Amino acid sequence: MSAPGNAMDSLSAALKCNIIPNQEYLLQGSVLDQYVEVLLHRLRGLCDNVDSGPESFHDHELCFSLRIANTGATTPMSVFSLRVRRALDVSDTPYQLRYIGQQELGDKNRPTVVRSSIDMACSSTIVDFLTELGCRVDFEYIARGYMFRKGRMKITVSKIFKMGGNKPGETVEPISQSYLVELSVLAPSGQDAIAEDMRIFAEQLRPLVQLEKIDYKRLGNIM
Amino acid sequence: MGVTILTQFNTENRSGPQNIEILSKRILALGATQQGQFLVDCETYTSVPQLGHQRTVHVLHNSEQPATVFSLLETGAKTIPLATDGLFDLLMMKMSHFYTSKKQTKSESKGPRYEIGDFCVKLGTVTVSSNFKGVLVEVEYRPCVVPAMCWDLLKEFLQGFLGLSGPTTPPTYLQNRMQENYSPIDTIHQYLEHFTMFRKSPGIGMRP
Amino acid sequence: MSYSVNISVEATIENQIQEIQYDGTEIYQPPLTLSESLAKYAQKIDFSKTSEVDIKKEESSEDSKSDTDSKDAFQSSIWPWDSVRTKLRSSLQEICVLADVLAIAKEKRYLVLDPVQQEPLETKPMVQIYARKKALGGAANVLLAGAEKMKNSQTEAARNRTTLDFHIELLRLRQNWRLKKVSNTIIGDLSYRTTGSKYLQTGTFEVTKAEDEEKPSSPPSSPLPGGPIPSKPNSALRVSIPTELQGVAYIEVLCQKDQEDLCSVNLNLMGTAPPPSNPDMHWQQKLEAAQNVLFCKELFNQLAKEAVQLQAPIPHMVVGNQIMATVLPGIQLIIGLRHSTSGDKKQQTPPPSKSDHDHVLEHSLHQLLREVHHKNTHHPFPHPATGPLGPSKKRMLAGPLAADRHELLEMTKTQTLLEQIVQQAQHFIMRMRTEYVLDTIAKEVKDPLISSHWNTLNSPTHSCVKIHISTHGYDAVCRTPLIIHVGEKSLKCICRDGKVMNMSYEPQELRDLIFCHISQHQIVAVQALAKTMGWQALGNSNHLGTGAVEPLGNSSSCLLSSPTGDRIIAVRCEPQAGPQVSVAHSPRTDFFPSRLVTERKWEHLGGQFRDVRLDKMEGRNFLHKMELLMASLTSNS
Repeated sequence: MSAPGNAMDSLSAALKCNIIPNQEYLLQGSVLDQYVEVLLHRLRGLCDNVDSGPESFHDHELCFSLRIANTGATTPMSVFSLRVRRALDVSDTPYQLRYIGQQELGDKNRPTVVRSSIDMACSSTIVDFLTELGCRVDFEYIARGYMFRKGRMKITVSKIFKMGGNKPGETVEPISQSYLVELSVLAPSGQDAIAEDMRIFAEQLRPLVQLEKIDYKRLGNIM
Repeated sequence: MGVTILTQFNTENRSGPQNIEILSKRILALGATQQGQFLVDCETYTSVPQLGHQRTVHVLHNSEQPATVFSLLETGAKTIPLATDGLFDLLMMKMSHFYTSKKQTKSESKGPRYEIGDFCVKLGTVTVSSNFKGVLVEVEYRPCVVPAMCWDLLKEFLQGFLGLSGPTTPPTYLQNRMQENYSPIDTIHQYLEHFTMFRKSPGIGMRP
Repeated sequence: MSYSVNISVEATIENQIQEIQYDGTEIYQPPLTLSESLAKYAQKIDFSKTSEVDIKKEESSEDSKSDTDSKDAFQSSIWPWDSVRTKLRSSLQEICVLADVLAIAKEKRYLVLDPVQQEPLETKPMVQIYARKKALGGAANVLLAGAEKMKNSQTEAARNRTTLDFHIELLRLRQNWRLKKVSNTIIGDLSYRTTGSKYLQTGTFEVTKAEDEEKPSSPPSSPLPGGPIPSKPNSALRVSIPTELQGVAYIEVLCQKDQEDLCSVNLNLMGTAPPPSNPDMHWQQKLEAAQNVLFCKELFNQLAKEAVQLQAPIPHMVVGNQIMATVLPGIQLIIGLRHSTSGDKKQQTPPPSKSDHDHVLEHSLHQLLREVHHKNTHHPFPHPATGPLGPSKKRMLAGPLAADRHELLEMTKTQTLLEQIVQQAQHFIMRMRTEYVLDTIAKEVKDPLISSHWNTLNSPTHSCVKIHISTHGYDAVCRTPLIIHVGEKSLKCICRDGKVMNMSYEPQELRDLIFCHISQHQIVAVQALAKTMGWQALGNSNHLGTGAVEPLGNSSSCLLSSPTGDRIIAVRCEPQAGPQVSVAHSPRTDFFPSRLVTERKWEHLGGQFRDVRLDKMEGRNFLHKMELLMASLTSNS
């Protein structure tokens, strides 16, 4: 047995070899409540292994951010946001900590949004840990819906609920009259071919759902 | 997974390799077999002043749990443990604006790993930023998870090959947790305790 | 060539035909008037040609002039823009002339412009007519043939309603098989790739209409008189399957001891399949057979790959279409791929099955590959939903729960198909051996009775049997239960007292164990019987240290005393020899004082034991005899 290497060394080696899936290819859209059944039906036809029905999920997500106010002109305000998610319906599952980087829309030729993403499972102390780290909770919500798989692609159809009471699951009210539809792939950087596959898949859901590259900055301007 | 006791071995003016050699001979004489090497390392990050009162994050890796990154957050008032996937290191790199690493405190303990019956013995040479600091002996008794139930056994075993320099009382970290179930994070706590002590102590000045 | 005939060709005197009416009357063009013909001929003159010639003449004369002139002129003639200049000049000239002509024509005094009828293009109308006639005839033929075909099929459908429509059949096919249209052909896929197979061989087949192939044999014009066609097609569809998938295949599994078969299993997914060579087989059966061939090939391929890769103590052998693996010492598992195409069909049919099929092993081999397929496609979904696709739930938890190296290694371990089937075969043999041992003992030993109950529920590699040792008529008095777990290479016996005995695959060990338990059962049963008879057990030992050394196990014994204490029975039971019984009386019925034994009380110490000849005694079995013995000894006192 060879001597175990330094963990940081092996991590940087893995980074170099480009085997860490740290890029998320994403398309988003929405569908009205009354048509979600049609969409689910279509997804059952398109996706892998739906013989046992779609997989449901019920998650609680907390969004944290770590920020430093701009003290001087030279240092701009920097914000670092982290998401913590846990499953409410399945026991014995780890908490999921997620860092999502700036999204790159790219030009028209690029079919999907690409954003860097670091995804890790962690113990339940993460909420305390982040709070003590100096993060504060920006918002939280409950997502409930179904997920599908097609090859490496993951499709989630979820309803977003506002948190009513202090505890999750007490009183929740839906945020809108529609479902959020997301098509995503987590891959090591440079695998742009998958984006094309995603575009083709998204085409097949039209006109029920328009899966598109959503520009959050533009959304901010509208509101 | 069992109960682990970590203890410092009195160097008695011998160099690190000599100490390790003596202990290896003793443990091999007891009938142990060497099963590879081990490595525990620790890197410490401190918050930037703009973030308010200072907090420290210690990120540790243990080769015994290769898929896990352990982090201990010290706020002054309390210590919060966290166990995550290997990608946590990547996250700490991203957080470099907020938490900066202190390279001179990078510590590690590494050396041979032996198995003898239900015990697992690791003889670690401790270095803090590449300076030799001492020897740490880790003994794990695998069939038991409650420290109080096997402390005496472990103490006897330790004294059996460490001689008089073996511990007489449980490690300070464990003293309040003798009746609780032991978990790998407890080993990490013990390592951090020792690393902190080694960092404060003046360097012996000998390269291993 | 020797002689030639002069053929004179002259224009017809007739006028040109202008139109042919539907009734056939031809309308001729009226002959041209004189002025018209003049105009016609004038039009034929190509003025541009003559003018060009003129210009050329001019140029040549100019050239000859300039040649003599000077060198400058010569250079100018080869000036690059020279041709352009001349062209421009000539066009200017023509424009000027045209302007002049127009000016003159406008006056209408000297020149009148008459419209000239454009002569129709020099075509040979008859040829054209013939060509059109031919083309139309061709088109008509195509239409007629098409109509004929439609008429035929319609009449056929009307006459023979049982034959199914091609499209209906195609629809049926589409409901069960994957089809796609590639240009003009319909291609189907019968591979297991969509269900998770990673086998490289393709399983494409082509769908054609059966009718097309019959056409040459029966001309379409004759609408097939006389009812049934000699080769009556069952369906309007025909599927053509690649040759390597034709025929019938199955996987043969044999457990061989040295050269003699212990069991033989024919894995044949088709069950009772009709002979494959039949060309009229229904497409559904044909496709199923081909799919079965593909499945068997994949299964065998996988097993062969594993057999080569696996590091077994006794290496597996792969020879041709056969894999040999050693299951237990002296016992081989032989897995063979039998693929018979229509050619050597006759060779394959004769071998008679030596023993009946074991449907359990057949099923499990089938199941194992299906399981692999299933695992290839059914990856667990992450919870929470943002987690990565792929890692198992256990692997996801490994980080936060700090799994150690050993646990992580365990997660990566998977058993290969061959390992699993070898294990199942091992278990199969172990079970068979255990059954055999228990049955023979039950046959050999009548006293006590050995009954075994096999659990109906078991796994492919683990089963359980419960054994009861009891004596006929006395099963309420004493019963010795044993539980034997039959594993892959070992047996585990849980005894009456909770002791666990682990045994190897050798059947003799189990046999010995059962015999030991039989002897112990007799002793325990005698004591239980004694208790009901009011006798007292003075002592017993399961492992008696005295006496001759037993060839197997230890003998056990017990001492019983009668209610009044004056009779003692000693029972010793040996696993091989069976029970021995001795009786002692105390005190002796008669007493004569002697110098050594002065008083009668000393006689209570017990007398000499005398053997009881059990085989001479009355009674159905050992316990019955003992009951009679005890009863007689009690009443005697």
